[in-house]
Amino acid sequence: MTIRTRLTFWYAGILILSLLVMGIGTYQEIFEQLRHEHWRRPEERATNDPGGMEVRHEHRSPEDHALNETGEMVFRAGLPAIVLGLLGGWWLTRRALAPVARLTAAVEKIHEHNLNTPLPRSGSGDELDRLTEVFNAMAARLDGSFTRIREFTLHASHELKTPLTILCGETETLLRDESLTPNERDRAVSQLDELRRLARIVDGLTLLAKADAGQIVLTREPVPWDELIRDNFADALILAEPHGIGVELGACEAMLVCGDRHRLRQLLLNLTDNAVKYNQPHGKVLMTLRRWDGLAEYTISNTGPGIPPELLPRVFDRFFRGNAAHDSTVEGCGLGLSIAQWIVTAHHGTITLESPAPGRTLVRVRLPIFTPPA
Amino acid sequence: MRVLVVEDEKKTASFIRKALQTEGFAVDVCHTGDEGLTAVQTTPFDILVLDIMLPGRDGLSVLSRMRELKLQTPVLLLSARGEVNERVAGLNAGADDYLPKPFELAELIARVRALTRRNAENKATVLRVADLRLDTLTRLAHRGDAEIQLTAREYRLLEFLMRSADRLCGRMMIIEKVWDYDFDPGTNLVDVYIRRLREKIDAGFEPKLLHTVRGAGYVLKEPR
Repeated sequence: MTIRTRLTFWYAGILILSLLVMGIGTYQEIFEQLRHEHWRRPEERATNDPGGMEVRHEHRSPEDHALNETGEMVFRAGLPAIVLGLLGGWWLTRRALAPVARLTAAVEKIHEHNLNTPLPRSGSGDELDRLTEVFNAMAARLDGSFTRIREFTLHASHELKTPLTILCGETETLLRDESLTPNERDRAVSQLDELRRLARIVDGLTLLAKADAGQIVLTREPVPWDELIRDNFADALILAEPHGIGVELGACEAMLVCGDRHRLRQLLLNLTDNAVKYNQPHGKVLMTLRRWDGLAEYTISNTGPGIPPELLPRVFDRFFRGNAAHDSTVEGCGLGLSIAQWIVTAHHGTITLESPAPGRTLVRVRLPIFTPPA
Repeated sequence: MRVLVVEDEKKTASFIRKALQTEGFAVDVCHTGDEGLTAVQTTPFDILVLDIMLPGRDGLSVLSRMRELKLQTPVLLLSARGEVNERVAGLNAGADDYLPKPFELAELIARVRALTRRNAENKATVLRVADLRLDTLTRLAHRGDAEIQLTAREYRLLEFLMRSADRLCGRMMIIEKVWDYDFDPGTNLVDVYIRRLREKIDAGFEPKLLHTVRGAGYVLKEPR
């Protein structure tokens, strides 16, 4: 039940109660008056009562009379008062609660990127204005925390790059040393591989931290989406071949999207790489590009081990690797899907990961189609 | 060949110096932008390896000032930020190449070498390494008398490797030039393509031409 309905009911209740109190009071008053008059002589009463109303009801007891009288009064004056009161109450609560509705609508629009935009204040200094002020202060504090976290990640990834550069460089210098035994060389190469993986993670983190801070400027231009997909399909065939995985390109309708060519290619490669990596031996990957409700819908599905439904909402989380987290045979940095999600969102699109059947995974990317001006 | 390295991080500067020296370059090192700017004005260097983040005058500012002074020394920019926008800003300011940190040493050497040969680039239309021929006009490849069928991507890869014959090509360099990616795809795309290309140009032929340098990259050359 809304506050408004509840207030109106309360209001009506109070009105009825006060009417009741008023009725009892009136009844007693009239009763007292009538009993008093009853004892007087009829001629006296007649002179005191020019309307002669009492004369007509002389045969009735004062109690009955008073009850009738009160009932009539309550009915004639009280009922319209209640109706009026209810309507008035309904209208009043609406007026009183309108700023709450406005505040609710404004607060609903708050997300982590517009925390620094204050909610509009009425300036009247009333309770709701004060509440808005408190909301704004809270949002400002949250914004501060978010900014600090973002800056921390950004600085951390920058700070990591210098020691990483040195480590990679020195390991490579070591590898150039001709006097290394094959054993030592193997160890150095394995170290270098891990360092490079670390470097990729740091790269991914930097990219996401910058995206969070809104520091990445995308070049937007009309891009032939189907061509990019065909191109990526050619790479996918090559990537999948060593694993004996078959790649198929289904429908691939010609269409343009407006966006950053490099980032869109990165998106496709990320998704393809995932579809090949999280697959079973001799599995399948299927890609399609179709129009769907005025949008360009790209899907890539694979016969992977699948993802349990309860984990689906978390697949775009950073460093989320599901069951593969403990699978050392699958190499990855755990940021691929987060980066993919950022790229799609930055292009005003949506990305979802579904598990249409056990052991199957399908990623669906929807982007607005670009229509060249005639 | 004389190279100036302007890098404030002492250890980084030190391994760059060592690596370039092993490759036969004469290397000078400066640790601040101002020192670097003075050095390029007083000494003729063939290549400048310039870090962007420097104390005092930063790398981009050194670069702009150099170009204002009409100093055309080829510049390889290094940056810990590694962002597309910065890469574009660097190239616009007059840099000849850009390498984000952390980089692979082989990559750095390959790029410095590429800069020394920028003017002497192989412009021939028929490229040759031993008995491997690639005609860039007809896009036909032959090993001896046998014709080799190449896909579009394999062709671009082979052309790039042949134009850089005898030089080590880093993974990122190949990704940039052959795939036109400006990011590290984090996949083994290059390795897989190299393997396929090797099957086409080397399998059944002697000598082997396409070599992997472990932990560094690839090189196409005739063994001597």
